[in-house]
Amino acid sequence: MDIYLPIAEVSVNAPLLVALGALVGFISGMFGIGGGFLMTPVLVFLGIPPAVAVASMSNHVAASSMSSVISYGRKRAVDFRMGGVLAAGGAVGSVAGVELFRWLRLLGQADLVVALSYLVFLGIIGGLMFWESIGAILRRRRNTPAPPRRDRRPPWLYGLPLKMRFPRSRLYISVIPPIALGAFVGVLSAIMGVGGGFVLVPAMVYVLRMPAGVVVGTSLFQIIITTALTGVLQAGRNQTVDILLAALLLVGGVLGAQFGARASSRFRAEELRALLALIVLLVGLRMGLGLFFTPHEPFVLMSGNGG
Amino acid sequence: MAAVLPPPTLPPPARTAVVSAALTETNVRVNSDFRGDRIVLYGAVFDPAQRRSDVVVIVRGPDQPVRIARKSRVAGVWINSRPVVFQGAPGFYIAASTRPLDDIARFGVLRRLEAGVDHLAINAPAEQRTETRYGVRDVVVSRLGADYVDWRQAVVRLKEADHLYAVDEHGVRFVDKGLFRAEIALPAEAPIGRYAVRILLFQNGQPVSEKDRTLTVEKVGVERGLYLWAHQRPWSYGLAAMAFALAAGWAASFAFRRN
Repeated sequence: MDIYLPIAEVSVNAPLLVALGALVGFISGMFGIGGGFLMTPVLVFLGIPPAVAVASMSNHVAASSMSSVISYGRKRAVDFRMGGVLAAGGAVGSVAGVELFRWLRLLGQADLVVALSYLVFLGIIGGLMFWESIGAILRRRRNTPAPPRRDRRPPWLYGLPLKMRFPRSRLYISVIPPIALGAFVGVLSAIMGVGGGFVLVPAMVYVLRMPAGVVVGTSLFQIIITTALTGVLQAGRNQTVDILLAALLLVGGVLGAQFGARASSRFRAEELRALLALIVLLVGLRMGLGLFFTPHEPFVLMSGNGG
Repeated sequence: MAAVLPPPTLPPPARTAVVSAALTETNVRVNSDFRGDRIVLYGAVFDPAQRRSDVVVIVRGPDQPVRIARKSRVAGVWINSRPVVFQGAPGFYIAASTRPLDDIARFGVLRRLEAGVDHLAINAPAEQRTETRYGVRDVVVSRLGADYVDWRQAVVRLKEADHLYAVDEHGVRFVDKGLFRAEIALPAEAPIGRYAVRILLFQNGQPVSEKDRTLTVEKVGVERGLYLWAHQRPWSYGLAAMAFALAAGWAASFAFRRN
């Protein structure tokens, strides 16, 4: 059953989209990530214009994060104050990101920047995560204890002004690093059509040194605010949000996420991380390596007429 | 060989051939299950002299400027050049005929009528400037230089790949004496708007009669509402779309809490 998407102006197979939403939702529920990095490339591959895919994903990611942040909130696993500070940076980042994306589209370089961002960020994050999780799996096999975690926080985190207390995260740090982190993720969310959890979660653990229990919930909370703003800005500035597309993905996504969360308890944490790292690496390589191959068709039509 | 077009103000003399045609569908409605459409056109040739007739049907969608870039290798990476804007390109174009166009009429005739994808009047005015060359004033020079033809061909090639441009050399068939039928495939990606359908009758390599018809492709129902809302009031659409998404996510978390 095909359905015509009014904003994307293409006809797509509706059950296929719902199934895709479910699959990505399953993965996102299993690993506790938004899944935007996986969904956006698949949508582009299905023939949806990249600008529409990126913008509509903001709505999808906001909705799916909303459905899971509520359960984290009930478990008191959200640091709302830290989330708010991150989101303040995220707001700046998403405004800048939407304008940057608009400018890149005018220059005709949006595809390049999207592909490079996927290659660089997914490559780095996936590579690091894979390395770390393989190390953990090997250590467990050999029964060697984990190396003592260096708990010394980076000195620059303490040297900065504008300190603030974050009781739930048991932190007393400057607000500058979280704002900068939020802004960076906001730009990524506008350009790559992702929530940015894959950058946010490791940064919160390794840079801000937040306790593991509140990291995922807080990152989801910040993602809701940032993607909500990005989605409204994309619709207002670029008219590229297809609500029908987002709704179709959401139906499958919500269902898939519930099953994914249940399935995740059957695997060990480091095995899950290794698997996720592989998926992240593959997506990054698939998106980015095309830049290095000689194209069959040297010319490319740009969507939009530059207005 | 002197088959001359009569002056348009005079009624055609009795011995001139006339073409007549009608579309079986003049309104294409784009709704949620739109997957493209096939437009059927019937027409008749009235020619007392019964000369050899060729019919060309040209369907032309609303003009849309085309932005096109060329990939080139910079430091091992293929990146897009500065986009070039081509004006005068129809958003949809198909030329269907009874025989290959080159057999029906000469180059100059086809060019004047913009019959066939190679004869579309597409140009890139922003890349052009006029200058004096070899003592001749106002020579049009394109900044794209000798590659200009490559760019122009690429526009047509890419549009053909998207099924938006086509040449159907046997798309018009005579089904009976003087009665012809053409079928135009309209893809789901076809742009919204008014399409001009031109039916040309050729005899001896010259157009002797023509008819113009219009075809309207429009969004209807929910699709039209959403499209207009998103483009005319983008901010309220964006806010509503996001509110809907957040509410859906919130509702979902409650639905699954019970389980």
